[in-house]
Amino acid sequence: MKKIIWFVAFLPLVYMLLELFVFQNASDPIKYIYSITGTAAITILFFTTTLSLWFKKLVKHRRLIGLFGFFYAFLHMANFLILDMELDVLFAIEETLDKPFIYLGMISFTALVFMSVTSTKKLFRKYNKYHKVLYLVLILTTIHFVMAQKSLSILQFTYLGIFAIILLAKINKKTKFFTFKEKIKA
Amino acid sequence: MKKLSAKDVTSEVLFNKRRNFLKLGAASIVASSALVELMAKENLPLSNLKYLKDANENDLKLNTFKEITSYNNFYEFTTSKEKVKDLAKDMDTTSWKITIDGLVKNPITIDVKDLIKKYALEERIYRFRCVEGWAMVVPWIGFELKKLIEDVEPLGKAKYVKFTTKYDTEMFPDQSRGVFSSITYPYVEGLRMDEAMNPLTLLAVGLYGKTLEGQNGAPIRLVVPWKYGFKSIKSIDKITFLEEEPLNTWQAQNKNEYGFYANVNPKVDHPRWTQKRERVLGSFFKKKTLAFNGYEKEVGHMYKDMDLTKNF
Repeated sequence: MKKIIWFVAFLPLVYMLLELFVFQNASDPIKYIYSITGTAAITILFFTTTLSLWFKKLVKHRRLIGLFGFFYAFLHMANFLILDMELDVLFAIEETLDKPFIYLGMISFTALVFMSVTSTKKLFRKYNKYHKVLYLVLILTTIHFVMAQKSLSILQFTYLGIFAIILLAKINKKTKFFTFKEKIKA
Repeated sequence: MKKLSAKDVTSEVLFNKRRNFLKLGAASIVASSALVELMAKENLPLSNLKYLKDANENDLKLNTFKEITSYNNFYEFTTSKEKVKDLAKDMDTTSWKITIDGLVKNPITIDVKDLIKKYALEERIYRFRCVEGWAMVVPWIGFELKKLIEDVEPLGKAKYVKFTTKYDTEMFPDQSRGVFSSITYPYVEGLRMDEAMNPLTLLAVGLYGKTLEGQNGAPIRLVVPWKYGFKSIKSIDKITFLEEEPLNTWQAQNKNEYGFYANVNPKVDHPRWTQKRERVLGSFFKKKTLAFNGYEKEVGHMYKDMDLTKNF
């Protein structure tokens, strides 16, 4: 199972590298890297929250999958700092404070760093309750994603629709979960 | 723009072609195939327009034909800049007519082919800056909009020029999507009369010596080099002279983010992203964006009494 996860999780990266260096189809490589790494990160992170809904077998690999989400978010961030801002830290900070679109991304990334650092067995025990911050990350990154577009295409509306369905399913599960617990207590 | 001397007239491409033709007598077929090979190697299309060459005084480095024709915003096809090229492949622009109407003495509907014959074409090497933060340098072929305006003779009341892209749901897939289309069609742009009459403002019918590709706005488009790219409306169907400022598509779409003027201005950021820098396609690093996209000398005077943070 782990092998499959590794394989699937690396597909977007391999695809991106091929497009960039072998086929050389990307006219605006930095923008292209943003799109691929951003989409991969947000998709993987959303996916981790759905595991309990229909991929119960995968729940024990949640950490690995989540770390892959962080990995793409990290590449996304590295693209911003190194390639886009050309390591001009001052300008990067200025832009971050000035543009909601960027600071929403930054807040999300910071939260992801925290989750990754505290994902070791020992620290997770202590900090796992804070890992619910992922839901905040998902909301912020969705806004970040929408703000990055000049106008939304049908495909992007479809993504948003899927996100909304997952959210509803989660809320539904949560509420049911609570009634279930109460019944046991009774 | 400097007046060109006679020796600048012949384009390099035509010059090569003629040399090749002369060689043809001696070397026969070999020479002509050499030209085709050369064009293929340089990634250039075969020229089919006659025009006055631009001396390129600012020494701008041209983007390649491939770059210019492979990365396009043309929402009528798709919002994906890479996919436009393929979708526009079958765009049929033969017998395309353009209508000039509104507050003019001589309204006219004319085939673009006749328009090309009527006005002497010239090459204009311009910077092109998209509001999204990328840029390129394009050797457009066209004629000054001014010439056309002088011929149709606008009435004194005419203060603005409105441009409309063709509305044809069979030609443009996104136009047939109705409420699901990415923006409202037909696409509309506008210029103030003095902007339209500025010698930099071009009606382009080609680039790199060849008639425009579908994805670049065939068969005729506007080029306003000191404004963000969305002002340079593609595949024009109609030019209308008005008294009131027309509501351009992107302003209608989101008036907090896009205005009527849309002059390239590194000091006024788009609310969501920076306009201080730009990435010229093909170069990896960004460069500083210039006021009025580097054409301040030519156009700055038109806006000297305006607050450009309000009239963005």
